[in-house]
Amino acid sequence: MAETASVTFTLVITGAPYSSQAPQTALGFAQAAVDAGHRIDRVFLYGDGVHLASALCAPPSDETNWSEAWSQFLADHSVPGVACIASALRRGLVNETEQKRYELPAANLRAPFEIAGLGEWVEGRIKSTRTLYFHAGD
Amino acid sequence: MTAIKTLHILNKSPDHPRAAKCLEMVSREDGLLLIGGGVLFLAAAKLPDAGKLFALSPDADARGLGHLTGNASAVDFNGMVALSLQAQRVISW
Amino acid sequence: MSTLIMIDQPPYGAWTGREALDMAFSLAAFDQPASLLFTGAGVNWLRQAQEAGGIGQKSVEKNLSAAPIFGIEAILADRSACNTYGLDENSLIEGVTLVDADAVLLTNYDHTAFAG
Repeated sequence: MAETASVTFTLVITGAPYSSQAPQTALGFAQAAVDAGHRIDRVFLYGDGVHLASALCAPPSDETNWSEAWSQFLADHSVPGVACIASALRRGLVNETEQKRYELPAANLRAPFEIAGLGEWVEGRIKSTRTLYFHAGD
Repeated sequence: MTAIKTLHILNKSPDHPRAAKCLEMVSREDGLLLIGGGVLFLAAAKLPDAGKLFALSPDADARGLGHLTGNASAVDFNGMVALSLQAQRVISW
Repeated sequence: MSTLIMIDQPPYGAWTGREALDMAFSLAAFDQPASLLFTGAGVNWLRQAQEAGGIGQKSVEKNLSAAPIFGIEAILADRSACNTYGLDENSLIEGVTLVDADAVLLTNYDHTAFAG
């Protein structure tokens, strides 16, 4: 079932879960875009937004786990989720490659998120029909 | 439906400095979509002066402002997606 | 495909400004036209003689001076914000163009973004 949607979005999330509404607003938008037959080209986590890619978030059971909800969405719709490497390393978000490179005690990046450079944002911004940003509010 | 030159998506409450700058940079040919804390503009005495004013309904509902849309049009996430494509460009404040 | 990166947060208290610079430099590295616009308290990034060693940070003054070399098209600063913070040609770093940050300015760019 080839997806031939011509409209594509790059979504950039810069607000962290639990300190901002950014990840949940972005998820509402992404879900609606997919429901309308559009494609999410990629989701790029920047600045504090990289905290969304943590595998270690454990909110109370009556609250939404936004990291888990986003991972599920990315997996369900085969959307690449990329955390900016510079933002991620500064804030303690690492995959196994970076763990080894910097000899850190653990890796904590939640699948299917990946770590890559700002070039991913630049490419998305060039290729996508629209690039939208989801920032922290107040 | 009239064309929107720039869609300004504002998630800052009226007291945030970026909200003031956003309103300065909105023209009559633009659209302003209030989301997150930005929907608190619906409770302010004076609504922002944009060509077209929209508010994201789940955010307005969450803050008890679902009924207070004034001359703002309520949109859901489907509407937000449509607006972002209808405008020539989008700025997320 | 010209991009305007806006910076409205004051220097050193937050990382957003630095991350905005990284976005602009990254666009330039991929040969994409990019300009920086400083507004509000963000114009304080453009003051001469920043010495951030005492707070354990690196001054961004050098990065900004190097912006044209890296292909950043323009460093713009909102005129009224510069007035607010007492910034003029004597206190601004070199290479800054004063503009009125208004709806007309935005129409020169097909993409405008904040880093956070």
